[in-house]
Amino acid sequence: MADKTFIVKIKRQQRSDEAVRWEEYELRYRPHMNVIICLRDIAEKPFTRSGSESTPVSYEANCLEEICGACAMIVNGKPRQACTALVDDLEKPIRLEPLTKFPLIRDLQVDRSSMFENLKRTKCWIPIDGTYDLGPGPRMSPETQEVGYALSQCITCGNCLEICPKVNENSHFVGAAIVSQVRLFNMHPTGKMHAGPRLEALMGPGGIEDCDNAQNCVKVCPKGIPLTESLAAVNGQVLVHAVKSFFRGS
Amino acid sequence: MSVAAADSKTSYLLDKLQSLSGVVPIGAFLAEHFWSNSYALVSVGKYNDVSRELQQIPWRIMIETCVLFIPILFHGLYGCYIWWTGKSNAIGHPWMANWLYVLQRWTGIIAFVFIGWHLYTERFMGHGVTSYADVQRNLMNPWYLTFYIVGITCASFHLGNGLWNFACKWGIAVSVSAQRAAGWFGAAVAVAFTFIGVAIVIALHYGAFPLGGYVQ
Repeated sequence: MADKTFIVKIKRQQRSDEAVRWEEYELRYRPHMNVIICLRDIAEKPFTRSGSESTPVSYEANCLEEICGACAMIVNGKPRQACTALVDDLEKPIRLEPLTKFPLIRDLQVDRSSMFENLKRTKCWIPIDGTYDLGPGPRMSPETQEVGYALSQCITCGNCLEICPKVNENSHFVGAAIVSQVRLFNMHPTGKMHAGPRLEALMGPGGIEDCDNAQNCVKVCPKGIPLTESLAAVNGQVLVHAVKSFFRGS
Repeated sequence: MSVAAADSKTSYLLDKLQSLSGVVPIGAFLAEHFWSNSYALVSVGKYNDVSRELQQIPWRIMIETCVLFIPILFHGLYGCYIWWTGKSNAIGHPWMANWLYVLQRWTGIIAFVFIGWHLYTERFMGHGVTSYADVQRNLMNPWYLTFYIVGITCASFHLGNGLWNFACKWGIAVSVSAQRAAGWFGAAVAVAFTFIGVAIVIALHYGAFPLGGYVQ
């Protein structure tokens, strides 16, 4: 009996300025396959469905358990992690495309360093180093820990930026992930001491005001982070900070 | 894309003003406008009394300019800029809030065009003086009536949904449940405003006075 097979269609491009081509691969079905396994199968035997020889597909993947964020791509029209996109659950043929809101490197691989740059710009870290021992920091209440834990699961995959109508070439919006990280570091007892500069960074173009509440971000977050709550919470923080620094000086 | 420049705060101020102006004065005026025009449901005499009173308020031109014309122009024109900075994707991702985002854009544009035309025909063509008979004459035209119903529905939706956006964007409704409550409040506002506004123009079209029963 012949093996059960299925079709995977992949949007391929050598470089962002080269023409797009769609390739179709027919793969042998095994139970519990995910999209990464499909891409590995193709790398093993890079022959398209019509039999012509191609090249292995370029993509990023690392942890294969949805905690690193590397393998974000558009699977059947939805931005998600390829490692948890199971072949059994997906409509066939499976369509794979790279994220569109980041510069393309090749095939399914994009350059998401803009997110890292924005994390740096919004000072999303907690300064604990001094020239002498600063001692233990203030204690954190269990309630704060609980909210913070949910936010700390962000894997910077970029799905929330991909799905956001306000992230495009006409807008500089940093996206929900960065705003949510600002909330996380602002709620930390030590991080709180540097809340001002973080909020200032979100007041400029591309900052918090660019969110127009389409609330798509929360629908595609693989970690289930309450992004719409973060956006509203940080909106309030920025407003209070703006009013305070206007009336009282910063 | 995705580069936050921390230096300019002008855009923050403009965005906040755009959001605020939609509620106060524009939303507040819409409530007042529907209230005053609801006298068309009572009687001709009452409607004419109320409109004459409004047409004779002190500092009229200044109030019209500062409280109505400038805020509406700013809200509309800056709103067009905000439109340009977004690219809707509700066809591929048809979630409720995503559709509301698309509708907020379109109803804003339609309401802005309607308000411009409405001001031209009812405020400027009559040089600031109108009566029940004038408005009724215009609304006898079925095209006028249709455009009014479309304009009122769009403006009401835009206000109701805008109140929900406002609650989220000003950090008033943070939790999911608070945002849902704000959404229901906005929906109630949208439905109530649409109902009252459409009732007014239909009553004017037919010359009916459904709330005139207790007028002596």
